[in-house]
Amino acid sequence: MSGFRQPSVLPGFGLTLGFATFFLSAIVLLPLAALVLKTASMSWAEFLEVVLSPRALASYRLSFGASLVAALINTVFGFIVAWTLVRYDFPGRKILDAMIDMPFALPTAVSGIALTAVFAENGWIGQYLEPYGIKVAYTWLGVTVALTLIGLPFVVRSVQPSLLEVQRDLEDAAETLGATPLYIFRRIIFPTVVPALASGFTLAFARGIGEYGSVIFIAGNLPMKTEITPLLIVIKLEEFDYNGAAALGFVMLAMSFVMLLSINLVQAWARRGVVAARR
Amino acid sequence: MSITLDQVTKQYQGNPVVNDVSLAVAEGEFFVLLGPSGSGKSTLLRAIAGLTAADHGRIALFGRDVTQVSAREREVGFVFQNYALFRHMTVGENIEFALRVRRVKPAERARRRKELLELIGLPGMDDRLPTQLSGGQQQRVAVARALAHKPKVLLLDEPFGALDAKIREELRRTIRSVQRELGITTVLVTHDQEEAFALGDRLGVMNFGRLLETGRPTELYTRPATRFVATFLGAANLLLRREARSGSDLAPAGPEAQTDSPLRDRRDQEVVAMLRPEEAELAPDRDALRTTFLGYGHVEELQFTGALERLRIRMGVEGAARSSDGETSAMPPVWIDVTRTQPEQRAFPLASGQLVAVGTRRIHVLPTPLSSFTVCAESRESAARLMENPWLVDLTIRMQTRLSAQVEPLVAKDGASPVVAPAGVAVVTAGPDCPARVRRLLARGVTPVLCLPEDAAPPSRVIVHFAGQVARRATLAVTASLLRHVPAEAVFLGILPGDSSERTRTAGLRQLLDVRSEAQAGHGLDVRTELRLGERIEELLRELEAQPGQMLILGLPEPGSLPDSFEALLTQSPGWPVLLA
Repeated sequence: MSGFRQPSVLPGFGLTLGFATFFLSAIVLLPLAALVLKTASMSWAEFLEVVLSPRALASYRLSFGASLVAALINTVFGFIVAWTLVRYDFPGRKILDAMIDMPFALPTAVSGIALTAVFAENGWIGQYLEPYGIKVAYTWLGVTVALTLIGLPFVVRSVQPSLLEVQRDLEDAAETLGATPLYIFRRIIFPTVVPALASGFTLAFARGIGEYGSVIFIAGNLPMKTEITPLLIVIKLEEFDYNGAAALGFVMLAMSFVMLLSINLVQAWARRGVVAARR
Repeated sequence: MSITLDQVTKQYQGNPVVNDVSLAVAEGEFFVLLGPSGSGKSTLLRAIAGLTAADHGRIALFGRDVTQVSAREREVGFVFQNYALFRHMTVGENIEFALRVRRVKPAERARRRKELLELIGLPGMDDRLPTQLSGGQQQRVAVARALAHKPKVLLLDEPFGALDAKIREELRRTIRSVQRELGITTVLVTHDQEEAFALGDRLGVMNFGRLLETGRPTELYTRPATRFVATFLGAANLLLRREARSGSDLAPAGPEAQTDSPLRDRRDQEVVAMLRPEEAELAPDRDALRTTFLGYGHVEELQFTGALERLRIRMGVEGAARSSDGETSAMPPVWIDVTRTQPEQRAFPLASGQLVAVGTRRIHVLPTPLSSFTVCAESRESAARLMENPWLVDLTIRMQTRLSAQVEPLVAKDGASPVVAPAGVAVVTAGPDCPARVRRLLARGVTPVLCLPEDAAPPSRVIVHFAGQVARRATLAVTASLLRHVPAEAVFLGILPGDSSERTRTAGLRQLLDVRSEAQAGHGLDVRTELRLGERIEELLRELEAQPGQMLILGLPEPGSLPDSFEALLTQSPGWPVLLA
C-alpha cells in the first residue's frame, strides 16, 4: 500500500481513507444495508408479489420513462442555456446564471405547486394548450415537466466549465483552416463537451428517478397512470406495509445502481474507444 | 504586393486599437510586427486573417480585396500563441484538418501529412495526441497544420510566447527555414525585439495602435525616427541637445519636472539625440578618448552580465567644471547607460564611483520637432496648474522627455527682448490672454506653441489644418511626431472658400491627397483627409465644437505671427488644446 502514499496537502493517507470509509458507511452504506436487511426478511413469494404487481410495474415505467425523457430534454436545452451563459454577455446574465441554481434551493413542493398552477387547464400556459387537447398537469407530461425543472441545473453546471474550456482560439483556428460554423460545432466544440454532457445527463436522470416532492403535486397520482414509484413507497408506508415499501425501495436502488453504473461504463469505454480508435 | 493594408482601423468601445494602419508586405517577405502588449499588433494580425473585422479601411491579399471576405475564404494559415491544437484529434488528424474540410482524397491527405511532418522535423508522429507532445513540438504541429492547405500567407501570433528560451531558438530556426523553403509571405507578431531582429526581413513597430515605423532591422536600429522605436529596439540614451554659445549642452531627457531651468541663451534648435549604450566610449581622460567628447561623469552602477558590462554614468557638475571653457553650470544630472565588451573592460577596468570621460562613436538625431515641453506662465501658480494637467504629464512620460516651467510677466518690461527663450514646445494656458502670450513667444521665434486649457482632457480626435503652404512642412512634422504618442484618430482638414469654382475644388482635393502621400512618405504617418467648403475659422470652430475631446494642430500662414482672426480658436471656453506649428 505504501506505493500509493504521496505527500499531499491533507495529512495522513491512513487518516483520510479511514475517515472517508467511516463517513460513507454511516451516511450511505448503513441505511442502504438496513433497507436490504428489511427486504431480506420477506419471502421470495411476498417479495415478487409486491415488486411485480401491475401497479408497481406501471410506476416503474413512469418513473424511469419520465426521468429519461426529462434528462434528454435537459441535455439539449441545458446545453443551449450553458452556451448562452458562457458565450454571450448581456444585461442580466449574472442574474440568469444565479437563477439556474434555483431548483436546487427551492423546496421541491413549492416548484411542484407552482408548475401545477401554471400548467393546469386554467393556468397561464395550460389555458393555451387546452384547446389543442394537450393536458400537462395530472398526466405523465406533467411528471416530465417537473423532472425537467429539477434536472436542468445538473446539466448546465456540468457543461459550463467544459464550454469555458473550448478556447475561442480553437474555433478561430478551425475557421482559418476553412471550416464552416456547423463543421466547427460538430468536429471541434461538440467532441470537447460530450463527456461533460454525458455526466450532466446521468446526474439529471438519477435525480429524476429519486424525485418526489415536486412530482406528487403535478402528477395527480392516479394509480396505474400517474403514480411514481417513490409515491407508491410512501403509500405503502402510510398503510404500515414497511416490508412492501422496503421491497420497492430495494428495486429502485438496484435499478438505479445498474443504470448509473452502465452509463459510467459506457462513458469510460467511449472515451477509451476514441483514443484507441485513433491509434 | 501580397498583403496590402490601407488605413485599417479597429475600435473597441470608441478607442482605436488599430489606428489608420497602412502597410504593404512584398511576396515571400518575412515581416515582423513588433510592439508592446496592447499596441494593437495582434488585432491587426487577426484583421489580416479575417478573424476580426476592420471598422474602416481595406485589406487586400495578392491584389484581391478581402475586407469583406470571411477568414474561411481568405486562404491564410494562422498560428496561435497557445498552439490551439484540437486535443481530441491526433497529430495527423490535426494536420489533415484543412484538407478534410476541403474533401481532399485520403491518399493525397496522407501524402501531404507525411510531407509536412518531415518539413517540421517530426516524422512518424502522426498517431500521437497533442497532449503527448512537448510545447515546442505542439507548436511545430500547429505550423504544419496551418500550412496544410497551401495558404498564400502565413500569420503567426506570438508563436514562441509560451516556450522557454532554448526551445524558442530552435523553433525560430525551424520557422525561418520553413519560410525560406516555401517562400511563403509571412507576418509574425512579437514583443521581443531579439526575435524580431533574428527573423524579420523587415520590421514594423507598433504602439498605441499606430504603425510607427517600418524598415529593415539594421535601419530601424541605427536610424530610428521616433523616440519609441529608439528605446523599444534595444537600449538607448535619449538626450536633449542644444547648440549653445558655450558649446554642446546636454539636458536630461526624463519626465522630471523642474522650475526655472537656467537657460542661458537665446533660443537655439533643441534636438533629441539617441546614443546607443555600445556607441559610448569611456576613458580616464578627455585626451585618451578616440571619439567625440561628450562630458565627464561618475560610474554610479556597474553590472557584470557575461559578455557585456553594463554601466550607468552620472554626467555631472565636476565634468562641466573640468570642461575646456571652465564654466560651471547648474545643469540637472544626466545619466547615461553604457555597455562595454570584454576587451574594453580589460583595457580600462572601472570601479564604482570612478570619474571617467565619456565619448560617443555615433549619435543619431531624431527628426522630431517636439523635443521637450516648457510651460510658460506669468505666475508660479498658473505654471504649476498647467504642469499638473494629466494629459501633458502623460504626454511627457510617453515621449520620455522633459517638462519644465518658465515664469515671466505677460508684457515684457520696457519692451526689451527677453534674454531667455523657452526650449522645445512652449506650453501656455488657453483663455482670453492666450493670443497675447502666443504672440510674445512667436515674436521670439518660438515654435511650436501649445495652448492648453488647464482642465483639458486627453483628445481622442486630432484635427490638422494648415493655413497656407508655408506651414505645410512644419505642420506635417509636428503632427507626425505628436500622433506617435497620442492614441487618437487624426483628420487632415482642407478648407476652401464656399464660393470656390469646380476647378479650385478639384485642385484642393488633389492637394489634400498630396499631403497624405507626403505624410506617408516623409513620416510614415497615415492620416485621413476631408475637404470642407466655407470660411476657414468658422469651419474649424464648427468642427471643434461638434464633439468634446478634440484638439487642433494648426499651421500658421506666416511664421512668427498670429493673424487676428485666429484668436477665436484660442479663447473659447471650454476650450481645446491647440498646437501651433
